[in-house]
Amino acid sequence: MNDKMNLNHKAENIRKPSWVPVPLAALFSLIIPGLGQIFARSIRRGILLFFSYATILGLLVWRFILAAPRDEGFADIVKKGWHLDPFLIIITILFILLHLWIVYDAYLLAKHRDRTPLSVFFVILVVFFALGWQIGQIDLVNMVTQADEALPALSRIAWPWIKAIEYDEDEIRAVANIEVPCPEDHDPPAANEVGNDPVIVTDLTCGILKEQDGTLGTILRLEGHNFIPGVDVNIMWADPINNEFRQRQGGEYVILIPDENGYFEFDIEMPYRLLPPSANEPTYIWELFALQIAAVGDAHLSQDFILVVEKMIETIFIGMMATFFGVIFALPVSFFAARNLMSASPVTLVIYYLVRGVLNIIRSIEPIIWAISAVIVVGLGPFAGILALVFHSIAALGKLYSEAIESIDPGPIEAIHATGANWVQTVIYAVIPQIIPPFVSFTIYRWDINVRMSTIIGLVGGGGIGFLLVQFIRILDYRSAGMCVWFIAITVAILDYVSAEIRARFV
Amino acid sequence: MLEIRNLTKVYDDGTVALKNVSFGVPDGEFLVVIGLSGSGKSTLLRCINRLIDPTEGEILWDGVDLAQLKGEELRMTRRKIGMIFQHFNLVKRSQVLTNVLSGRLGYTSTRRSLVGRFSKEDIDKAWVALKRLGIEDQALKRADELSGGQQQRVGVARALMQEPSMILADEPVASLDPVLAHSILQYLEMLNQEDKMTIICSLHYLDLVQRYSTRVIGLRDGEIVYEGSRADIQAMSDEEFKDIYGEEAERVGSGLEGALKVDEGGAA
Ligand SMILES: Nc1ncnc2c1ncn2[C@@H]1O[C@H](COP(=O)(O)OP(=O)(O)OP(=O)(O)O)[C@@H](O)[C@H]1O
Ligand SMILES: [Mg+2]
Repeated sequence: MNDKMNLNHKAENIRKPSWVPVPLAALFSLIIPGLGQIFARSIRRGILLFFSYATILGLLVWRFILAAPRDEGFADIVKKGWHLDPFLIIITILFILLHLWIVYDAYLLAKHRDRTPLSVFFVILVVFFALGWQIGQIDLVNMVTQADEALPALSRIAWPWIKAIEYDEDEIRAVANIEVPCPEDHDPPAANEVGNDPVIVTDLTCGILKEQDGTLGTILRLEGHNFIPGVDVNIMWADPINNEFRQRQGGEYVILIPDENGYFEFDIEMPYRLLPPSANEPTYIWELFALQIAAVGDAHLSQDFILVVEKMIETIFIGMMATFFGVIFALPVSFFAARNLMSASPVTLVIYYLVRGVLNIIRSIEPIIWAISAVIVVGLGPFAGILALVFHSIAALGKLYSEAIESIDPGPIEAIHATGANWVQTVIYAVIPQIIPPFVSFTIYRWDINVRMSTIIGLVGGGGIGFLLVQFIRILDYRSAGMCVWFIAITVAILDYVSAEIRARFV
Repeated sequence: MLEIRNLTKVYDDGTVALKNVSFGVPDGEFLVVIGLSGSGKSTLLRCINRLIDPTEGEILWDGVDLAQLKGEELRMTRRKIGMIFQHFNLVKRSQVLTNVLSGRLGYTSTRRSLVGRFSKEDIDKAWVALKRLGIEDQALKRADELSGGQQQRVGVARALMQEPSMILADEPVASLDPVLAHSILQYLEMLNQEDKMTIICSLHYLDLVQRYSTRVIGLRDGEIVYEGSRADIQAMSDEEFKDIYGEEAERVGSGLEGALKVDEGGAA
């Protein structure tokens, strides 16, 4: 009770002298920090210092054991801790400094009973700050040096719109048949004719494959005509049982780029390939083919973009439906949670406390926890999200509404009543005008919050864009994730503006 | 003619706010009730239109005992009694016009009220009332955008809409400055003299009492301790006033006459 006065250091308020001599107080605090202060008659200060010191000591021991879990013995643990985390050295030094400072504090306090040194609390604060730094594993150096590694992902998230557009793709496939090995009793397949369509032509239409022992396969002269200029062409094979594989030459895939006439040429060695043991025909037809994938037609919105928009709409509606059901249930509930309506009799007062209590409990459970529970009950999807938000909305709106009801001015009600208006008229003209503005305002605000929250709820499976965002991040598709982030940001900004506008109109 | 007989009010918590109060008010009177804070003025006025149910006694108005009225009858009677409040008691977020119109609710069917409509005649009446009180240009504003004096005029206009034969005014000028106090009381005086309405008004300031009242009753601890005619009050000195009133008694103050004239000029 006297603390306030003591802070003023008024002359008439000098405290009683210390119970023990000054050096003894310091000595006591050296043995048990805080004890000296207690003996110097600053009992609460001593207890406070002791517990602060004990807390810090406990935290420090914990951090050391955590840093050196496999070591035993005080010296080993300390050495290992210092070695693994040099920051612990700083904390240790600060800790010793604190110990000494408490001794010094006891000394000062015992000597100058009219003064209250505050420096020791500053030291405690510094130690706590250092501990917090260590426990939080704050690593600014790492943060700065690693920043550029995150750059590619970040830049995709920051500007994802390349992914918003895609083109239809056309697959150009030109085939030449090659007989393996060259037949003896009939002619090999005829070479392709060059016309207006993409086509590949080989000088030979039969040959032998490369052998496992390194014997060279037949070298084919490959020409391509009428391909799209400048777009990669993959050279591939299909074996007789229709397994496709890519031609390799010199260890690399063969990718050719047609010139401005759509023409390319290349010498390829027929590849090595095992045939299944069941193959017992004398010859087989192999397909050599050129594959060119080209964008054709106009740009159009990508699948991912459309998906993001769809999920964004879903999210907004999750928020809306949750608000809607929240309002429906919160409206009647709020009347039971309004003290001015419920204080008439002990029975109603009990109901009031019950309703209030339940609302407070529901409200104190985070929507994300409701969402996890709802997912268990109704499965993944928007309905789970709506359920989670409805619960939270009922509790939050119920409280806000009931407070609006509690703050109704009884004056106008009395005045309207006095004009000879009946009960219904009084409610319409004196009660509703008073509660509508706050109700509308709180409802809009809730909708705003619900839309924001539904993205969070989505992260745990409550449907909407949050769900999509997590999936994109999991498959490292940062561009599509970036589109989600952008849409969320834009929607929230618009909603923020709209709800502020509406509320400004009503309040 | 209003006649109060042996009116007693005991609140639920046991407070005796009125003890056996009896007096009569002839039609067309401007009766001022004075008394210390807590002496029972508000309780008395609220008993007359039954915002408070009296514990005992009769409130005879033209032979009908208001204390016994219930339901529809009570509503029908309330329509004829306008009330003006110290804190105006307007619906702050509603339009001035709506506030004035709400004085007609007693004459409006519930069905009409549910859709929020008033009849054409009522709306015309509201404009006349607003004009009469000089606030027709404020009609479409929200009530809480008006100054205190303007708000009280809306309160008077609302009471006027009831076409009452009696107006109860519970310290109608206590939250207004002296100039505005005079202007509001002048409106009440106008209603009293032109429209022949009975006015029962509680007031705090001796000079206002002397200027406007035709009769005065003084309350102390729920009992009538003074009754005086206009002549009695005019003759009353500050000391006598303080006697009934206690030390709180004061005058609005001198030197206001000039300001008042300016106000009257403006209002005219
Ligand atoms: N609702 C109530 N419940 C219990 N006691 C009440 C209630 N209203 C008023 N009282 C008491 O009744 C007495 C008379 O109150 P009332 O409001 O009529 O006085 P007043 O003369 O109007 O005072 P003021 O000048 O302050 O308005 C007071 O003692 C008051 O405390
Ligand atoms: Mg009062």
